[in-house]
Amino acid sequence: MQRAFITGIFLAALLAYLGVFVVLRRMAFFSDGIAHASLAGVAVGVLLSLNPLVTALIASVIFGVIMFFLERKTNLSSDTVIGLIFTSGMALGVLLMSLKRGYQPELISFLFGNILMIRPADLILIVVLSLLTGIFLAANHRRITLLALDREMAYLAGVNPDFLHLVMYVVLAMSVVLGIKILGVVLVSALLIIPVSISKLISRSFRRLMIWSIILAELIVSAGLVFSYLLDLPAGAVVVLTGAAVFLLVLTCRSLFQKEVSG
Amino acid sequence: MSKPIIRVEHLTASYDGQIVLNDLNFSIQEGAIVAVVGPNGSGKTTLIRAILGLVPYQGRIWVDEKPVREVLGKIGYVPQKFQFDKTIPMTVGEFLKLSFRGIPHRKIRHVLLEVDMRQHEKVPIGTLSGGQLQRVLIARSLLNDPAILLLDEATNEIDIASERSFYEIVSHLNQIHQTTVMLISHEINMVYRFASQIICLNRDLICFGKPKEAITKEVLERLYGREVHFKEHQH
Repeated sequence: MQRAFITGIFLAALLAYLGVFVVLRRMAFFSDGIAHASLAGVAVGVLLSLNPLVTALIASVIFGVIMFFLERKTNLSSDTVIGLIFTSGMALGVLLMSLKRGYQPELISFLFGNILMIRPADLILIVVLSLLTGIFLAANHRRITLLALDREMAYLAGVNPDFLHLVMYVVLAMSVVLGIKILGVVLVSALLIIPVSISKLISRSFRRLMIWSIILAELIVSAGLVFSYLLDLPAGAVVVLTGAAVFLLVLTCRSLFQKEVSG
Repeated sequence: MSKPIIRVEHLTASYDGQIVLNDLNFSIQEGAIVAVVGPNGSGKTTLIRAILGLVPYQGRIWVDEKPVREVLGKIGYVPQKFQFDKTIPMTVGEFLKLSFRGIPHRKIRHVLLEVDMRQHEKVPIGTLSGGQLQRVLIARSLLNDPAILLLDEATNEIDIASERSFYEIVSHLNQIHQTTVMLISHEINMVYRFASQIICLNRDLICFGKPKEAITKEVLERLYGREVHFKEHQH
């Protein structure tokens, strides 16, 4: 539980921060696609008796780079490319898993998340990569925000938009895969989207949007992990439903407040 | 005598195999206000985007005797349309601060004052009207004290009074800071009043020079067809 909490704290901050750019660039489907496609990497890890988190990270980077180049070199739209990688990666994962006989607890834990399956090596990997990614994002905050807002504006401000776009695909792909240890392939995108969605309801500036997203993500993950521990329920599902409940609560309060103001 | 600040040599650009700009050659002197006119689809926007390096082209473009990539910081640009996610809570001040690293707050206040938007600094940018947004984009283009201002139909979404004040701002910048201005406009009358040079474009370079000398009946016909007439007022 301690390991789950530490990883949860780091991942919540990282994914909430990235979530702002995911929402700004309308890239929610990208993160979902990468998470599902990374199942192929998990399968390779399980088959070769390697750390599945490491192989999933490598697979996610490869898929992220492939998506980037397919979007540029073909006339296929972004969602088509993501759909292609999403299904192909997942199909490859299922196929590879079928080669290994018997029940696969590792696979189930990656699909739906399992806080008890976080090993010390995973914890170190998640904390180190989260810190490195956080430092990169903080150092490039202005450039990344510009790119998310408008590609041409970023170029005119001296940013190399193609290169930064590729780097952001890789960073996002890796961060999403780090999150699947807690939430699982199926639910990890929620941590990118829910905190930012709630934050958007209550923020009137970008600075507040960023700060509230991170605070809310920490609260949601912490509360979700505690509930799941106390009630002996799957952590990923409880975290996501906690987030959805907070969203509904804030939305209701906001609507009531607005009615009061206009009334 | 002023030196050429933009030099265009044998500029050709095409989209999907169709030539949009055909072998353009001209140079713009430092401190000029140059209006680019022509019918829809005549390549005006492509010309500005080529100068900025936003579209591929053949030929050569020099800005201050250097390739544009090296002098982007000296150029201010206002696009025809700025599309972004209007639901994102980002204030006008935050939006301006993003443009350049280490912009002091007083500079942001100053440029907002120049476009009469000082009171909107803390307003979310997504809630602005088309005209207000255009003013903010103009303010943004002024942040780095540009040597060159490129304006792509910047007055498209603003009313007549604001349009006049816009041209006055441009004129003021040109006179006080010697900013070279290149603007696309459909308002021939405004162009006639404010521009020192004119570029008439219809895929080819139809005319280039002082408006009073360059705009002739023949030029207008080559640009817009025989139905269009231009009446010059003496006041």
